[in-house]
Amino acid sequence: MPAQPLNRVLYVEDDEDIQRIVRVSLERVGKMTVEIIGDPMVAIERMKAFRPELVMLDWMMPGMDGPTLFRKMREVPETASLPVVFITAKAAQKELDALRELGAAGTISKPFSPKDLPDQLRAIWASLP
Amino acid sequence: MNRADTQEQASLTAALDPNAAADPGKVLADRVEQLYSQLPLGLVATLVVGALAAFELREGRFLEIVLFWAALVVLVTAARGALLWGYRRSADKLGEAPQWLRWLGIAALANGACWGFAAAVFFPSHADEQQVFLAFLLAGVMSGGIPMYAASWPMYAAYAAGIAVPFTYVLGAYGNRLFAEIALLVPLFYAVSVGIAWRLNEVFHSAYRLRHAYGKLTGDYTALNRRLEQQLGELAEARRQVEASGRKLALFAERSPIAVFEFSPEGAVLSANPAAEALFGYAASEMLAKLAADVLHPPVRREQAIEEWTRMIQSREPVIGARHVCTRRDGTEIVVEWSLTPLVNPENRVISVIAQGRDITQQLEVERLKQEFTSTLSHELRTPLTSIIGSLQLINSGVLGDLDKEVAELTTIAERNGQRLLELINDILDIEKIESGKLSMDLRPTALEELVRESLVLNRAYAERFKVRLEVPAELPAIRVNVDRKRALQVMTNLLSNAAKFSPENAAVEVTIQDLGAQVRVGIHDRGPGIPEGFRSRIFSRFAQADMSSTRQKGGTGLGLSISKRLVELMGGQVGFHDREGGGTTFWFELPKLA
Repeated sequence: MPAQPLNRVLYVEDDEDIQRIVRVSLERVGKMTVEIIGDPMVAIERMKAFRPELVMLDWMMPGMDGPTLFRKMREVPETASLPVVFITAKAAQKELDALRELGAAGTISKPFSPKDLPDQLRAIWASLP
Repeated sequence: MNRADTQEQASLTAALDPNAAADPGKVLADRVEQLYSQLPLGLVATLVVGALAAFELREGRFLEIVLFWAALVVLVTAARGALLWGYRRSADKLGEAPQWLRWLGIAALANGACWGFAAAVFFPSHADEQQVFLAFLLAGVMSGGIPMYAASWPMYAAYAAGIAVPFTYVLGAYGNRLFAEIALLVPLFYAVSVGIAWRLNEVFHSAYRLRHAYGKLTGDYTALNRRLEQQLGELAEARRQVEASGRKLALFAERSPIAVFEFSPEGAVLSANPAAEALFGYAASEMLAKLAADVLHPPVRREQAIEEWTRMIQSREPVIGARHVCTRRDGTEIVVEWSLTPLVNPENRVISVIAQGRDITQQLEVERLKQEFTSTLSHELRTPLTSIIGSLQLINSGVLGDLDKEVAELTTIAERNGQRLLELINDILDIEKIESGKLSMDLRPTALEELVRESLVLNRAYAERFKVRLEVPAELPAIRVNVDRKRALQVMTNLLSNAAKFSPENAAVEVTIQDLGAQVRVGIHDRGPGIPEGFRSRIFSRFAQADMSSTRQKGGTGLGLSISKRLVELMGGQVGFHDREGGGTTFWFELPKLA
């Protein structure tokens, strides 16, 4: 379990409505510092600048999907060790298992409850080594 | 074959057996008949010979005794005549045969005794030439009796003894050497005569037996003929029926919208109906004698088709609903659902194979479109719903500041109904997955009591909305089951929310786990109004709700129980319900226990 509580979260998501809801959820309910990125192609550069403690990736995005972005992050030293949580509408257990095998810290299935989202993230954060 | 047939068969077998004995009662009756039929001739002969003897012996001082003897002969003859008359009038010659035989025996003895009387009385008293006459006469009546009584040798023996015994006696006692020698010959003559009679008797006997066996055979032959005729009639009728059903079958195949083929065991086309011609675009004559694998299947699938065909011929088992990609004459591919039935002869060899094929290309396309439509639609619906519900949740949570009371009421309604819409979409997706066989189960060993407790925590808030408590009245036993955790929770949520929804306020829904040995049963017991009688049979069908008005009142899609049932079945268990003692209903599901 990391020493300090979760504070800086970065979310890559193309849907603006969801972006807005997640921002409100994490900032207002979770009292966290949040960075939201709509374009996955620039995500890694922005991660380097923001230096999040945890990254949330949407599964399906135009241009580059979540798993591809995740693999790219693993190749960049600054983002290689960041814990990643996938947000996915694909709830099949097999796919979730596949994501964990990729090294994902956790998965949160869509539709999620914005009221509970900060707690879900903190639970994953607490389970990290 | 029925019982009467079996009996008839048995009697036929008996009649055809040459060793089978003729009915002895009938043989005896025949012999008696034969004996009595000889009687009139015997009567006449007795009277004629008697009259001749009386005339010859009548002289002088013996007249009185000769007259007495003649009277005796007439009397005995009359008695025999009366016997004949009685026999002829008898109504039951068969049943009374032993009695008539006995009486005739007595009469024969009396008859013989008359002649014996003549020998004993007249031989010593008369002159030489009359003695010669008597000797001839006695020899004559003794041998003349043979054909008369041949049908019963003991009767002849009695008759002849009546003559021979007194005659031998008087010859021996006469004191003349010649007569003494003759006296020795008479018993010999007697023995030879009885021997002939016995032999004749045997011949008669076997003749009678043959006659009866023949009679019986004739009767049985007639019965056999009748039976054969009847069977021929039945066969003709059966043939008519077979022909009629053959015509019917031909008509069925002819007019059937389904392609019907007959194939040889090697897979060559023997016949094809018009629907088959239309389906594949060939005339039947073009397909004749060609292998199905060559003419109906695309070249890339030829080997596979032959392999499956060989497997079916070897197993002789019908194949139902096998889907194959086939090619039409113009090269277009179609998916055909085949039902193949091998016709097997009594030697267990396949004679031919009847194949029915249905073009399901369009049907499959429709199914695919339906699935695609359902999953696209639900995905497209879910994304905006996520935003709607998320926004409303944040507003209602109060993190954005307090709301006006009426606004809060309305946004709560909006959130709840958004949630309901989401549940409906999830349920439809589940149904679609279950029906298309795409629902995969992630079965893992799980502690059932922990899963049940978790489901109680998850559903407590929902139950509180109906002012219903979720309770565990007894300690839950520790039992492990092999389940998909998420799906098992879905089933529990479904049953618990149903129970809470239909419980009266301030009631408790009780949850129990019961060890049934190989199975474990989870029971959810409510105090609701119970399941209406008319609804019980379709409670687990889709969109089933007892009362449509309760849908609006209580919420729910009517899919939950149907999904739960299928989920439990996919986990190897079953669901059910029964009335609860003291009112209410118990819904339960059972799962196989893990060792």
